[in-house]
Amino acid sequence: MRIVKTAEHQEFQRSLRDMLADSCSPALVRSLKQPDSNGFPARLWEALRAAGVFGLALDKEHGGEDATLYELGLFFEEGGRALCPSVVYTTLQAGVALRRLGGPEHAECLTALASGELIGTTALWNPSDAADLRPTLSARPIGGGWALDGTLPFVQNAELADVLLTTATTGGTDGPARMIGLFLRRPEPGWSVRPLSSLAGDKQSHVTFDDFRVPAADLLTGHDGRGVRQDDLRWTANAVLALQCMDMVGGAACVIDQTVAYVKMREQFGRPIASFQAAQHLVADMRITLDAARLTATQAIWWVSRGETAMRQVAIAKMHCSEAYKWITLNSHQLQGGMGYVRDTDLHLWSERAKLTEVLGGSAGTARHWLQHELGLTGAR
Amino acid sequence: VDFQLDEGQLRWREEIRSFLRETVTPQLLDERSRHGSENPGPATVEFRRKLGEKGWFGLTWPVEFGGLGLGPVYQHILMHEFEYAGAPGPDLTVTSVAPMIMRHGTELNKREFLQPIARGELRVAVGYSEPDAGTDLASLRTRAEPDGDEWVINGSKIWNSLAQYATHEWLCVRTDPDAPKHRGISVIMVPIDSPGITIRPLITWADFQTNEVFFTDVRVPRTNLIGEPNKGWQYITGALDLERGALTNAGDLRRAVDDLLQLARGPLPDGTRPIDDPDARATLAQLDADVEAAVLMGLEASSLLEAGQIPTVTVTTEKIFTSELRQRIADAATRMLGMSGLLAPDEPLAPANGKFQKLYRSAPLLRFGAGTNEVLRDVIAQRAYGMPRYGR
Repeated sequence: MRIVKTAEHQEFQRSLRDMLADSCSPALVRSLKQPDSNGFPARLWEALRAAGVFGLALDKEHGGEDATLYELGLFFEEGGRALCPSVVYTTLQAGVALRRLGGPEHAECLTALASGELIGTTALWNPSDAADLRPTLSARPIGGGWALDGTLPFVQNAELADVLLTTATTGGTDGPARMIGLFLRRPEPGWSVRPLSSLAGDKQSHVTFDDFRVPAADLLTGHDGRGVRQDDLRWTANAVLALQCMDMVGGAACVIDQTVAYVKMREQFGRPIASFQAAQHLVADMRITLDAARLTATQAIWWVSRGETAMRQVAIAKMHCSEAYKWITLNSHQLQGGMGYVRDTDLHLWSERAKLTEVLGGSAGTARHWLQHELGLTGAR
Repeated sequence: VDFQLDEGQLRWREEIRSFLRETVTPQLLDERSRHGSENPGPATVEFRRKLGEKGWFGLTWPVEFGGLGLGPVYQHILMHEFEYAGAPGPDLTVTSVAPMIMRHGTELNKREFLQPIARGELRVAVGYSEPDAGTDLASLRTRAEPDGDEWVINGSKIWNSLAQYATHEWLCVRTDPDAPKHRGISVIMVPIDSPGITIRPLITWADFQTNEVFFTDVRVPRTNLIGEPNKGWQYITGALDLERGALTNAGDLRRAVDDLLQLARGPLPDGTRPIDDPDARATLAQLDADVEAAVLMGLEASSLLEAGQIPTVTVTTEKIFTSELRQRIADAATRMLGMSGLLAPDEPLAPANGKFQKLYRSAPLLRFGAGTNEVLRDVIAQRAYGMPRYGR
């Protein structure tokens, strides 16, 4: 037991922070949210490729850095500070998912994801409840391959992605219904994607399949060739949730820093508003909730990184992070008043990310249900 | 970072647990629930003797002072297990006063006081607060004046817990009335049986006895002053950090929520089961998640101490979070258990022996005690974020 970051990890984070400060400015974040932007940050992408971020938690044999998910979590923490665009995250998540769910036949794609040549995204669970792994697509066997029908709700970056990992329920002639994992490459002229205008401008879409043909070779076979199993999928969902929690921790810490800088500078009644006890207490409460979020998120990513499903730790982290990040942004609005409220200033960029990540994968209330289940307070799902 | 106990830490926890399995008797728990730590009965005295035999009073003390030289994480694990088991662990004399003597005391202070503390023979009551110096402690007025080889002490202390049980007062006094208020304070060790000391009990809402203690021309040797004169403020503010760290272990909170989870699953005296209520289930899960965070805060603080840092902000955060969580647990439990949750400890139908209605009454103490949470919020804003001080 030793809850202290090593000097190496601190140094690693500092270098990431410098890189992101240079190539991921609030102006960039703002421009990517515009409806006419495709959401792709070209210069940042090159910087991340050069820094080896896309292969950070992937294996040497695929050109990765052989680091762990914990280190990838440190990137997400810094990414949260800088509001790293979602397309970077979905590509990293696709790599994490493919490493766990794919077979040897996907080595080439893993290598391409590790180097940042491919853009990826995933739709492997209910976007509003990551513990709900039921597929929304159905697959019919046809001519040695599959035909897909149905809609995937709320896929991030579907328009940009070269590959999409998802699941479907089989039906028809090949025996009882079961779940299959699918590794889909973007067809020409593309999937049927309906972009959705949403609070955080984060490139969400509905993706619809209508008799979409998939060759048998695009099935996710798992490392033992037996296909995608619930526990692999569950681990993947929890890994993505834990990474997301690290992003939330970084974002929340950054909002507190900005808030403190503002209240120290802003004077009323002849003194900085930072000298008022009411303001200090609001900041102290932000710090207390941040500490709870940071510790529980770090614990979750650490356990997931060791291959554990860590349902309990992930549920607890999501409960803390969802509420902490959201309330830190809302209380920052309170402390910064009108100056944090106008769209010319940047605070709302973090407030939108906080609201998105609060709900994405499941709110604190959803996560509380996961924990109730872990505590044996409710029956089987 | 490592979120798992290593082999040595696991062995340590097992050693503690097996000690507790053997020594925490029903008599001890009964005595504790009736009298708390302030009026120890025979079972508590016997338990403390066994603790002393183990050398666990001097757990974190350097070997040169007769301690075991174990690190803060080991101490944290011990405190957690003791609190979980409801056993009386090393108290403030050991965790807070002794380290101060080691760091700041004269050679004579160390020779005279450390060994008896390690044997459990010297127990202090901490004499800081006064009727007009509570949260604003530096305004204290109890004075000590030199007279030959002695100090002559006059004044009074309040919230002086354990005075009825202690062998000594660890007394904060003004030794230089002309210096700025933080620079005229000293700490003096005063034998409790010195002529001129009167103890008046004050019984709290939680049935806990604290005291007001009066000093009239009390004489102690000049050598009983700890370290140097007029440096007491810097000694005790250092100790308050350690005290907060020791006071705010979340072991009792983990136990309270585990007990509540168990109670909530079974039928109450009226036949209902709290977990059949979705609200109660949500509350239980929330408390469980919050206790997890509290436990991690303590482990982080002790990890930082072990890495050689003084984690003032971390310990302060932990103190506020745990004390407010304790109140929320007690509140949730007394709501969940309905009328039976209000039953007194000696009522046969009282769930968990009335533990939660008692917790409801004892929880306020740690919100305002050991640094009131309002002042501690200032500490976080000022120490963590450099926000301006405003006249304290």
